[in-house]
Amino acid sequence: MAVDITLLFKASVKTVKTRNKAIGIGFDSTKDEIFKRSRPKGGFSPKAKEVITNITKLKEFLLQHRKDYVSAGSLISSDLTRMTDSERDQIDQDAQIFMRTCSEAIKQLRNEAEKQVMSAQIKEHRGAVLDLVEMYLKGVCKIYSEQRAIRVKRMFEQENQRLISEMNSLVDEVKQIEGKVVEISRLQEIFAEKVLQQETEIDSIHQLVVGATENVKEGNEDIREAIKNNAGFRVWILFFLVMCSFSLLFLDWYDS
Amino acid sequence: MAASVREKQTVALKRMLNFNAPPLKNTAAEPVWKVLIYDRFGQDIISPLLSVKELRDMGITLHLLLHSDRDPIPDVPAVYFVMPTEENIDRICQDLRNQLYESYYLNFISAISRSKLEDIASAALAANAVSLVTKVFDQYLNFITLEDDMFILCHQNKELISYHAINRADLQDTDMEAIMDTIVDSLFCFFVTLGAVPIIRCPRGNAAEMVAVKLDKKLRENLRDARNSLFTGDSMAAGQFSFQRPLFVLADRNVDMATPLHHTWTYQALIHDVLDFHLNRVMMEEGAGAEPSPAGARPKKKSRKTYDLTAADKFWQKHKGSPFPEVAESVQEELDTYRAQEDEVKRLKSIMGLEGEDEGAISMLSDNTAKLTSAMSSLPELLEKKRLIDLHTNVATAVLDHIKSRKLDVYFEYEEKLMSKSTLDKSLLDIISDPDAGTSEDKMRLFLIFYITAQLAPSESDLEQYKKALTDAGCDLSPLNYIKQWKAFTKMAATPANYGNSGVKPMGLFSRVMNTGSQFVMEGVKNLVLKQHAIVFVVGGGNYIEYQNLVDYTKSKQGKKVIYGCSELFNAAQFIKQVRQLTCYLLPPLTCPPAAFNLSTCYL
Repeated sequence: MAVDITLLFKASVKTVKTRNKAIGIGFDSTKDEIFKRSRPKGGFSPKAKEVITNITKLKEFLLQHRKDYVSAGSLISSDLTRMTDSERDQIDQDAQIFMRTCSEAIKQLRNEAEKQVMSAQIKEHRGAVLDLVEMYLKGVCKIYSEQRAIRVKRMFEQENQRLISEMNSLVDEVKQIEGKVVEISRLQEIFAEKVLQQETEIDSIHQLVVGATENVKEGNEDIREAIKNNAGFRVWILFFLVMCSFSLLFLDWYDS
Repeated sequence: MAASVREKQTVALKRMLNFNAPPLKNTAAEPVWKVLIYDRFGQDIISPLLSVKELRDMGITLHLLLHSDRDPIPDVPAVYFVMPTEENIDRICQDLRNQLYESYYLNFISAISRSKLEDIASAALAANAVSLVTKVFDQYLNFITLEDDMFILCHQNKELISYHAINRADLQDTDMEAIMDTIVDSLFCFFVTLGAVPIIRCPRGNAAEMVAVKLDKKLRENLRDARNSLFTGDSMAAGQFSFQRPLFVLADRNVDMATPLHHTWTYQALIHDVLDFHLNRVMMEEGAGAEPSPAGARPKKKSRKTYDLTAADKFWQKHKGSPFPEVAESVQEELDTYRAQEDEVKRLKSIMGLEGEDEGAISMLSDNTAKLTSAMSSLPELLEKKRLIDLHTNVATAVLDHIKSRKLDVYFEYEEKLMSKSTLDKSLLDIISDPDAGTSEDKMRLFLIFYITAQLAPSESDLEQYKKALTDAGCDLSPLNYIKQWKAFTKMAATPANYGNSGVKPMGLFSRVMNTGSQFVMEGVKNLVLKQHAIVFVVGGGNYIEYQNLVDYTKSKQGKKVIYGCSELFNAAQFIKQVRQLTCYLLPPLTCPPAAFNLSTCYL
């Protein structure tokens, strides 16, 4: 386990200062402050740091919107947090442009560093620094591409789901219709049966009716004859009676 | 102690490199660049733990040695990781005066003294740079971790604390004090990093005891000052401290002289013995093999290749302790699996190629797209695997060449038999006189092991015979004298030598130390039985054979973790060189033991 002796060091510094004051050696701190360390290569490090801060901004941006982007799609979340697809595309595009600019900046820095003449150690150091920045960028790109992969996968899944549900509803409808058609055919069968039955009955009725008409016609004839006979009989009875009456009358006259 | 020592030291280093703030976990954090300045000590500590790529990922654009020409880079913070020595401090003051960097984060590997701090303060004042010195830290990292459970004290200037330095005849008290201070400082840093106060056990009467006494004193002093104690704080859970104090066993090299000379058969130990292996880095010459170039032909250009054997290399982690034949097989297996995977990828490629012409199988497309994506993403892994396979093939081939040309398997088996006192099928003389088997150094090693492990000293005539055979083979007999003295002394010290079978059944050093140390153990602490963590440290140097034995021993005992450490790592060749130098100090046959072993009377 390591021991932090920084405070001990600072105490030593104080001790040495007081000792030096006592002896009379003073270090002019003010003079040196005016000649602050000349920064010969001021360009490289701040630029590299700038690229890093940019990449960090991108990373934070991606992570911030990650939830919305991926949108686990629970039904509870309000519509405010949902992103439309166009927003997502926008994010994708922006991120890509950003990453491209960052990698361009890194390449530029590398070229500059190579052109500048300096010691081998500084060259190696700068090369390694740029490697680190590139790795960082790759890491952030990985976040982005993972997100995107999830989104694309989710999109396909959604479409899949939609198609499946459509197909399912169609299937249901078709089943229903099928059932109905089957019923109708069954009913038609029954109808046809009944109609056939009725046909035979109607035929027999027809026959009967024809017979009945004939009978009625004959009956009419018979009744006409019977009436005629009746009328004839009546005539004869009438004649008899009249004859009887005349006979009577005659007789009566004769006797008279 | 859930995290290993290696992880703890790596974490400490990473923290330091992040301007002494704990590193953030989130990915894609803004890069902050910095320059790392180290001295050779710092370099040795960092290089087994962090690769250059890891340093780059942490934002370090340049890593430079302190005492090199450095150009001013005025808009960059600099992290220093150096030892607080005179010359380093002077160079830092010079840097401050020359205004090389924008801000300075000074980290000292071990604690810096007040006076040196004031030197820096006055230089900063003179350069009006006090505000630029942003942080000053004592890192307490003055040791080198090579494996999860192995550490050494230092690599630079290791001759200052080597076996030779500790055991030479003309050793002065002041020298010994300095050596002990260095060793104790590093061990103290080790325990601070580990975050635990150990229970110390050591045998009596040699350098190990001195180290133990000093370390104990230093730990007590630190703990007494409860406010500034290094052992409280967020790195340790309270429970860890009270229940799990690890056991720290100190051993002296002189207890076992045979193991450093032993020929070995496990992969890591072989590499260390046969090739140039330091700080987990192998250096080999490529191109020309062991065969001499045909007469008249221009010799093939030899290029030096270095290979790093790291924690990330799964094959290495799995097989570094395996016997060599197993390693060769496993490399073959790995190669086969790699080829199978490569073919799979090629097949996919051809299918995708056909796909463009054949409109038909759209379903096959979707299946293969998934396979292709997975193949593409596993492609870097595949390439890495290939690189490792190539690496191990090269290394194993080089080792194999050495084994074949020097017949190291014969030596290994023979030494095993010697050490386990089983019957020998060949006589020693045969092996020594055999011109094909091994270099003169190998023969010397074998003979020394024979001499050390023999219960009875060989008769004078036998000895003369052996000496003649050795001289014929081109060996230098000087180490023998030292070993004779050593053997005489150890007999007097009456510790029974017990060399178990060091290859297969891992007894060797550790169990013997435990046996001798067990007397002390039984004396006191009851909860020693519950010990789960132990640290074994060899004063005077150690090697990978002992480390491997320890690892095998730990594997067989469930739940126990053992860390191995030594003041320096040497292979047999380096050890013999040191012994040879020691012999130079000796006068012709002494009756009293050399001065080094008077420790028991002087320092008790």
